[in-house]
Amino acid sequence: MRDPDLKKANRLSLLLLVLGIVLALILMSLPLYRFNAAVYIKKSPNTFVGDEKYLAVKEEVETVAEGYRAQGFDVELDEDVLTRVNSKGETTSLITFTINESFSKNVFSFLGSGLPSETVLILILAMTALALGCALLGCRGEMDLPQRYLPRRSALLRSLACAALLVAVLAVPVFVLMNNYAFSRQISLYNAGLIEEGREAFFAKMDRLLFSGQMGEGIGSALAGLDVKHAPLIWMLIPALLVSLLAAIQLRFGAIRSTLLRGLLYLFVIIVCLVTLYPYYVMTITAFRSNAETLDMYFLHMFPTKWNWSNLTDIIHRGVPRYLLNSLLVAGGATVVAMLCGVPAAYAMARMNFFGKKAFLGFVIMSQMFSPVVLLIGISQLMNTLHLNNSVLGLMLINAAFNQAFAVWLLRGTFVSISPEMEQAALIDGCGTIGALTRVLIPMAAPGIVTALIFVFINAWNEYTISTVLISTDANRPITVGITQFSSFNMIEWQYLFAASLVATIPVVILFMSIEKHLTAGLTSGGVKG
Amino acid sequence: MKKFLALLLAAVMVFALAACGQQAAPAPAAEAPAAEAPAEQPAEAPADEGVTLDVIICQYGPNTNEWFLGSGMNGTNFVDKFESENPGIKLNLEVISWNDVHQVVDTRIANNNAPDILNIDTFSEFVPDGLLMPVKDYCPEDLYNDFFPAFIAESVIDDTVWAVPDLASARALFYNVDLLKDAGVEVPTTWAELEDACQAILDYYNGEIYPWGIDMTTDEGQACFAYYAWGNGGGFVDADGNWALNSPENVEAVNFAVGLVNKGFTNPNPATETRYDLQDMFAAGKLAMLLTTNQLPTYVSDKGGSINMATAGIPANEGKTGSSVGVMDRVMAFKDDSAPDQAARNEAIGKFLKFFYDPENYVGWVSMEGFLPAVNSAVEALVASDPSFGAWLDVLGSCQFYPAAKAEWATVRQGVTTVEQNALIGGDVQAGLDALQAEVAG
Amino acid sequence: MNSIQGKRKWEPYVWLLPSILLISIFVVFPILIVFKLSFSEITPGGVIGGFIGFRNFTDAVKLPAFKTVMMNTFWWVISVVGLSTLLGFIIAMVLNQQFRGRKIARSILVFPWATSLVIQASVWNYIIKYEYGNLNNVLLNLGIVGQAINWRTSYTVEFIWECGVGIFVTVPFVTFCVLSGLQSIDGSLYEAATVDGAGFWSKLWKITLPLVRPSLTVSTVLNIIYVFNSFPIVYTMTKGAPAHKTDTMITYLYMLSFYERKKGPATALSVIGFLILCLCAGIYMVTVMRKEEES
Repeated sequence: MRDPDLKKANRLSLLLLVLGIVLALILMSLPLYRFNAAVYIKKSPNTFVGDEKYLAVKEEVETVAEGYRAQGFDVELDEDVLTRVNSKGETTSLITFTINESFSKNVFSFLGSGLPSETVLILILAMTALALGCALLGCRGEMDLPQRYLPRRSALLRSLACAALLVAVLAVPVFVLMNNYAFSRQISLYNAGLIEEGREAFFAKMDRLLFSGQMGEGIGSALAGLDVKHAPLIWMLIPALLVSLLAAIQLRFGAIRSTLLRGLLYLFVIIVCLVTLYPYYVMTITAFRSNAETLDMYFLHMFPTKWNWSNLTDIIHRGVPRYLLNSLLVAGGATVVAMLCGVPAAYAMARMNFFGKKAFLGFVIMSQMFSPVVLLIGISQLMNTLHLNNSVLGLMLINAAFNQAFAVWLLRGTFVSISPEMEQAALIDGCGTIGALTRVLIPMAAPGIVTALIFVFINAWNEYTISTVLISTDANRPITVGITQFSSFNMIEWQYLFAASLVATIPVVILFMSIEKHLTAGLTSGGVKG
Repeated sequence: MKKFLALLLAAVMVFALAACGQQAAPAPAAEAPAAEAPAEQPAEAPADEGVTLDVIICQYGPNTNEWFLGSGMNGTNFVDKFESENPGIKLNLEVISWNDVHQVVDTRIANNNAPDILNIDTFSEFVPDGLLMPVKDYCPEDLYNDFFPAFIAESVIDDTVWAVPDLASARALFYNVDLLKDAGVEVPTTWAELEDACQAILDYYNGEIYPWGIDMTTDEGQACFAYYAWGNGGGFVDADGNWALNSPENVEAVNFAVGLVNKGFTNPNPATETRYDLQDMFAAGKLAMLLTTNQLPTYVSDKGGSINMATAGIPANEGKTGSSVGVMDRVMAFKDDSAPDQAARNEAIGKFLKFFYDPENYVGWVSMEGFLPAVNSAVEALVASDPSFGAWLDVLGSCQFYPAAKAEWATVRQGVTTVEQNALIGGDVQAGLDALQAEVAG
Repeated sequence: MNSIQGKRKWEPYVWLLPSILLISIFVVFPILIVFKLSFSEITPGGVIGGFIGFRNFTDAVKLPAFKTVMMNTFWWVISVVGLSTLLGFIIAMVLNQQFRGRKIARSILVFPWATSLVIQASVWNYIIKYEYGNLNNVLLNLGIVGQAINWRTSYTVEFIWECGVGIFVTVPFVTFCVLSGLQSIDGSLYEAATVDGAGFWSKLWKITLPLVRPSLTVSTVLNIIYVFNSFPIVYTMTKGAPAHKTDTMITYLYMLSFYERKKGPATALSVIGFLILCLCAGIYMVTVMRKEEES
């Protein structure tokens, strides 16, 4: 049971784990944050070197610099002259005086600053310590024991080490980003007066971190000219801790490959979902903002300061439910018609041989090749002739027709991929062709049918161009046309536009979720397959 | 087999019926001859004097739809009020967004299904085809005399008036008083001063404030052309009213505007940053100076901004006089040879216009979105409601308008925009304007 | 191909009849009108005149922006269809695995598809605005960047954004097409292959791809057509600015028709587009179908 080779491997893993943590600690003690604080800035327009105004301003600035030196700061005074000759031949000049101080800090100096990133730093340190402890304890005397024979206590300890290191790795970017935010954005927002709340406390913490609390009153202007550069080396904390994490996984599971693959799978799914949801996050937060806040030029709020639920009642008042009902009728009707016409056609295409089969397929595809924008004149003429102008029924039929190609084609593909033996059996059992189709083939082809169904519904739901031209009364408008009233010549009402769009997305998602299981159920019922 | 088909047909029929039930019953063809679209009410129209007018109105602001169809007109709406005051006339009125209106109107025209009354910006493309009725045919005399004569003159082709002005807006220079004052900058009146002011603002605010706003987007490029070309003694047409697009003044003007962009004095993406974007930047205090419509103060306060702003004339080149830029939309009536009683139809259109321009309705409509009026009778009430209207009406009096009465206007409007956008990416202005001139003037 | 031979020769045609009727009335008739229009004179006001031969076509080809627009359309279709097919296939493979939260992931993936293109384009346009766009908002507030970034520095970049949005909205369609194909594959095939010692790639090439090919064919051919004809993304985000440098054929002909009022050439352009599509889709279909029949 005991395995000397394993002992070697585990010893290596443990070594790597410790090494990674030591490396991380070394990185943290390096002066990675370099600060260049322009502690004081004075701009003087229409001033020339040597003139009265210049001398006055310069004297003023030098007094300030003296003040800083008296406090024990090692400051330099810079003077930047910008002269231009304007169109009238006059010389204009803008003089900028700055007082600078440069210094660096390491990661540990954030301890005791009271900044929010301090908490994260403590978390990282605590987690690495925990991981180290757990790993050492969990390995004691069991270095050569295969993982599946580990006693429960050791297994638990090693798992804990993995989890702690995972948290530490994930916390590193949080720490760095929190600092970035505090040093650039938060300072500039406070200084511009764009946010007020917590200003004094924040400045005091910054003073403690940067100037050992000596700047006092002048901290606001000192921070205004703060230029922070973190060395890219700080990101090396992640690989360092990652090495430890991988070593911990090796210690716990013996093999890291399958665990890693599983992790990557989740990572991939999470990234895809986040990217997909991102525009909906934007729509949601905008939908509940007030008209004034949709214009957030200084990027102050990631979320509305006040959730305006009244935006929802406003869009209801402005006709959205009626538009939704129309859309539901159009899309639902189009789906039914398209499937009723498409299923038999696809069945014939998949199961029967006849003259002109390929020609029909070509015909179906050809029907898709013009954009509705181009076909408007013809469609409108047709609808006049059929007296279907301005009617929900007209839109229904048009949408069904435009989605025939997909329905027929996808269903044909699905039917072909299902072996006909089951139907033949049903036919022999005395079912008619229709019985074989509805009782055998359609249940087996559920995934394809559901896809086609969703496709037709969604396309009809989202159709816009034809509806704008065909529908001429407000009462018959589908939602896509109805929401154009929120973007007018004078103003785009983003909050209503996005609120209505969100509301319009929900029915489709509900429809999808309610029939999604058929998409997965597929051919689980067994049977003969090709 | 047959059973299946029968089932299928039945299902289709059921859905068809359900859909028909949803909309109002389709109108029999003979019932309302003037109307192409199915009437909303089946049997109510009186047989003797039933006129139905199809009306298309463009979506001007957030309230337009409510005003005409909802309850935005003191609890009622335009259509209901009109129909109750004018029995025997039905309105089939649509409010359509500016993005789609040309598409809708053109498609209907192609199918001989033009609306009776249309509210839109251009009209000249409909005249050569004989689609429009002369205004004299339907507009009551007293209403006709009420329009500002200078406005009416903008809708004349071959000595005939084809459309009446709907409403107007005037454009001027808006600037952020505080931003200019802090940077020690005077309001520019000439192009040279403008460049100086831009440079000073750029320097003072380290480039965090855009000194000047330029909008060369596909929808507004013609306005940009007008601001600079008219400010340089050029323009779309010469003194005789012939196209003069490639004049040296115009070339210089476009090059100047593009120069402002290239020197970094403006918003960074003028080809895609629309008027809304610029107004938003101005409202947030990120843009110091902007040429835009008189509705800016309303827009800024709607957006919750509180900018200390003032207006001035549009800067012109040294030695040239600048001109205010006016933009006007129109109302026009289409011919309908299939209408059985032309006189009754014309009278109905006249009644529509009378109702539309009745100060009782019109003042509310114009002021609701902050536009300027087109009729004298509305001026008094408007000035009483908002004193700033008076100043704007003076500006409007000195405005130049786009040459929208010329048949090639649509081509020119897109043409100058394309030339500007091309210049932004390094194209040659002279060559572009030469080609455009050759295209429209033969 | 297996088939149940109908006893009566006319039977297949009865099955096809509803579909043929629907398409003929509502799609083919308007198409015929477009063909007629492309040979007719159309005034700027929209009135349709008489037959003028090929003049609309010669006018269309002579338009100064014709070449730019054709190249843009080419890159637009190739990049959007190509990348979204690749991405969609990968995502479908992943979503076909068993894992916790799979149902939720699938439902989330439907979102971009369930929202109309106009809205998608508006949202993304709102997201990548330099001055108040949400992307800058998020990046700044998460501390990822210190200064707002101009996401639309040149028309090339803007065109790439447009392609990106195109891919974003097309991926779900491909994913669900492929997924429906994957679902019909019998798991025992993979088990047998594993017993035979086949690795991941050989299973992908020998089992998955051939069986998914019908679904993939459908989605690719239809995507070529839909993406070629896709209008709202470009129209909402740039309207072809600057100077048609970001226009694709369909937005360009819209601008021609409704902004510049050159309706004849615009209609001719749409017929040219139709012919190009017929050619591309035709070639693709013939090659793929042949392979399908071989296997």
